[in-house]
Amino acid sequence: MDEDSRIDSQTEADGVTNEHHREDELLPQLVAHLREHRSKLREEWAHRIQDAHLLHAMTPQEMAVETKSVYDNYVEVLETGSVEALQDYARDLSERIIPRGVETQEVVGIVLLLRDVLARSLFEKYQRDFALLNRVLDAYEPAANRIANTVAVSFVDERERVIRQQQDAIRELSTPVLPVRERLLVLPIIGVLDSERARQLTEQLLAGIRTHRAKVVVMDITGAPDVDQTVANHLVQTVDASRLMGASVIITGLSPKIAQTLVTIGVDLSKMNTIGDLQGGLEEAERLLGYTVSRQDGSAR
Amino acid sequence: MDTGPALVSILRQGSYLIASIHTALDDSQMIRFQEDLIEQIGQRRSRGVIIDVAALDVLDSFGSKTLRNIGEMARLRGATTVIVGIQPDVAFAMVSLGMGTGSLYTALDLEEGLEYLDRNVRKDPGAVGTTSSSLS
Amino acid sequence: MVQRFVHSRVANEAVADDIVQETLVRMLVAVERVEPGILEPYAIVTARNLVASMWREQERHRRNQHRIVDLRGPDSPDESLLEQEDRGAVAEALGRLSERDRRTLVAHEVSGQDTQSLAEELGVTAGAVAAQLNRSRARLRVEYLLALEPGGSVTDRCRPVLFAMSSGDRRRQREVDAARHLLECALCEKLSQPLLARGQRSDDQVRIRIHADADIVLARQSAREVAARLEFPRTDLTVIATAVSEIARNIVRFTEGGEVVVELLEEPRRGVRIVARDTGPGIPDVEAALVDGYSTYHGLGLGLPGARRLMDEFAVVSEVGRGTTVTMTKWRQEG
Repeated sequence: MDEDSRIDSQTEADGVTNEHHREDELLPQLVAHLREHRSKLREEWAHRIQDAHLLHAMTPQEMAVETKSVYDNYVEVLETGSVEALQDYARDLSERIIPRGVETQEVVGIVLLLRDVLARSLFEKYQRDFALLNRVLDAYEPAANRIANTVAVSFVDERERVIRQQQDAIRELSTPVLPVRERLLVLPIIGVLDSERARQLTEQLLAGIRTHRAKVVVMDITGAPDVDQTVANHLVQTVDASRLMGASVIITGLSPKIAQTLVTIGVDLSKMNTIGDLQGGLEEAERLLGYTVSRQDGSAR
Repeated sequence: MDTGPALVSILRQGSYLIASIHTALDDSQMIRFQEDLIEQIGQRRSRGVIIDVAALDVLDSFGSKTLRNIGEMARLRGATTVIVGIQPDVAFAMVSLGMGTGSLYTALDLEEGLEYLDRNVRKDPGAVGTTSSSLS
Repeated sequence: MVQRFVHSRVANEAVADDIVQETLVRMLVAVERVEPGILEPYAIVTARNLVASMWREQERHRRNQHRIVDLRGPDSPDESLLEQEDRGAVAEALGRLSERDRRTLVAHEVSGQDTQSLAEELGVTAGAVAAQLNRSRARLRVEYLLALEPGGSVTDRCRPVLFAMSSGDRRRQREVDAARHLLECALCEKLSQPLLARGQRSDDQVRIRIHADADIVLARQSAREVAARLEFPRTDLTVIATAVSEIARNIVRFTEGGEVVVELLEEPRRGVRIVARDTGPGIPDVEAALVDGYSTYHGLGLGLPGARRLMDEFAVVSEVGRGTTVTMTKWRQEG
C-alpha cells in the first residue's frame, strides 16, 4: 500500500514525465494486488461462473481446482508478459474438458468473467484517482485481452485436433475393403462421400487390390445418398485405376439420381460394369472369375 | 541394344518375351527400349510380351504413350502385350493425369500376366489380333 | 542510412544463417588463442566479420532474388559505423539472455561442453538442455535483430511473435497470432523476413536446370524427395512427380532450356510449390493450351491440362518471345 501512495503522489506531482514508467511500474502493482486478494477474487469469479451457468459439466471440486490454476496462470501472465505457461495449461485443460462436452463459448465466457472480476476490483481500488485508474486499465486491458485470446485459441486448436482425429477414425471405419473370397473384394460405400473421403477410398481400394491380389471388385454404392460431380469423377478414376492394376470393377446400387449425375458429366456408363444390386453384382463377379476359366478352355480349342 | 542391362532386361521365355524396366527411364531411353523390344519381337517371333513396370515410380503421358505404342507395334508383329506391376499410386496418378493404357492389357504382376497370355495367346499365328477387350 | 544498410545486409542473408551462433562456433575454434577477458570483444568482431563475409558470399550466389534490397557494396564508408553497431548488437543480444541461458549457451558453443554433461550439472535431462539451447539461440537471433533497430518501437507483442518466428514453432506462431501481428507491426514484419528466410534455405528449396531428357527424371525425383519431407501420402508424392514430369518435358520439347524450382510452403498451409520457368517462344494461346488435346508435338496434349488436373493450384503466365512460367501447388491434406 505504501507503493500505491507513492505512485499516487508522483502522478499528481509529475504526471507527464512519468509516462514511460507506466507499464514498468503499474503492472507489478496490479499483480501484487491480485495476488493479495487472490482467494476473495477467485471466489467471486467462481460465483459468477455459476450464475452464468457455465461449466456445469464439472463438479464443484474440479471447479475449485481449475479456477485456482487459471487464476494463478492468469496473474502470472500479467506479471511476466509471457503466455507460454498459460498456453500449456490451456491446452492441457482443453484436452481434459473437451471430451466432456465443454463448448468454446463456455471457455471464452469464464476467461472473460475473470477479466471483468479483476477489472472491477481494480476499479474499486483506484476509483479515487480517475487518471491513475485510466492508466491502470490501459496497462491491464491489453494484457487481459491477450490472455483471453490465448486461451480461446488454445481451446479451439485442441478442439480441432480432437475433431480431426475422430474424423480420421470414422473414415477408416466407413471405407472397409472386404475380401469376400479369393480374388474378390467388396467395397460398400456408406454415407456422404466428400472428395477427401473419396480420395482415401481410392487409395485403400488400390492398396487392397495389391494386397489381396484381387481380380474383381464390387463397389456397392447403395448406402451413398448422393454424389456430386467431383466425387463422380473420382469414382470413374477409381474404376480406371483399378483396371490399370488388373482388376475389373462392378458397380452396384447405382441410384437413378447418381446415374443421372454420371451421365450429365459425360461418363460413358456403357464402359462401366453396373449391376442393379449387390447380390447381382456378386453373381456377376463369380461369373467373371469363373469366366476366365471357361474362356481359357474356349480359346484353347 | 543400346539399352544397358542396368536399365532394362528383356528375357525370352518360350514364345514370350519378358521385359523388365529396372529404373526410371528418361524419354530417349524409353524410345530405345521401345526399339529394342520391337526388334526382338520380330527376331524371336514372339507371341506374347510382358512389360514389368513395377520399378517405375511415375508413368507420365510420354511413358504411357510409349507403352501403348509398343502394344500397337507388337500387335502388328503378331504379339500380345500385357503391362504388369503398375503400382497403386502410379495408377492413381495416371488416371488423374487423364491417361489410361488404351487398348493395352494390364495385370497385377508377372504371374498374372503369364496366366493371361497362356489363356489368350493362340498357338497358331493366324489368330493374333483377337485379344482386345478395351481397358481404356 | 547506416541503418538501412545494415538491415539490407541482414535481411538478405546474415541472420539467415544465424550469425550469432556461427560466431560462437568460431569462438570455439579460437578459444585456445583467446584470453578469457577478451572473449566478448572477440565475439563481437567475429560476428562483424561474419556479416561481411556472408554478405559477399551471398551476393556471389544470389539467384532469383525476390525481394528488392539495398545492395550497396560492403566497401561503403559506413563500414566503421557498421562495425560499432554490430558490436553493440551482439553484446546487447547476449546481455538480454537470462544468466542461466547465457551460461549454458556459452558452455555449449564456446567451451564445447556436450548436452549430457550440461544436463547433469543442471539436474535436468539432455533433451531439456537441447530445448533450452534452441530457445536461447532463437531468442539471441531476435535480440540481435532488435538491437540493430534501436529506433524501432517494440511493443509487448513483438518479442513473443519474433520469438515464435525465430524458433520456427508453428503452433506458437498461431497462438500468438503471429500472422496478424506481422500485418500490423511494421517492425516485426521487417525483422521476421530474415528469420523466415532462415527456415527456407537450401533444404526447403531445390532448383533443377532443365535442358535434356535426363533432367526431366531428375526434376521429378527431386520434387518427390522435397515433398516427402512434408510427409505427403505416397499417392500425392507420385501425383506431384507426375505433374513435374509433364511440365519439365514441355521445357525440353519447346524451349532452349529453363528451370524447375521446388519449394516447401508453410503459409497459408503446408504444401509444395513448383515453379517452372523457361525462356522459350511462349504460348500464344494459354487458354487453348490448357484444353486436352492441344499439342504441338506428337505427344498426347496432356502436358499442361494434365498437370493442372494433378495439382490443387495451377497458373500459367506466358509472353510470346519471352518465355513461360508455370506455377503449381499441392497442399498437404492435414489430419
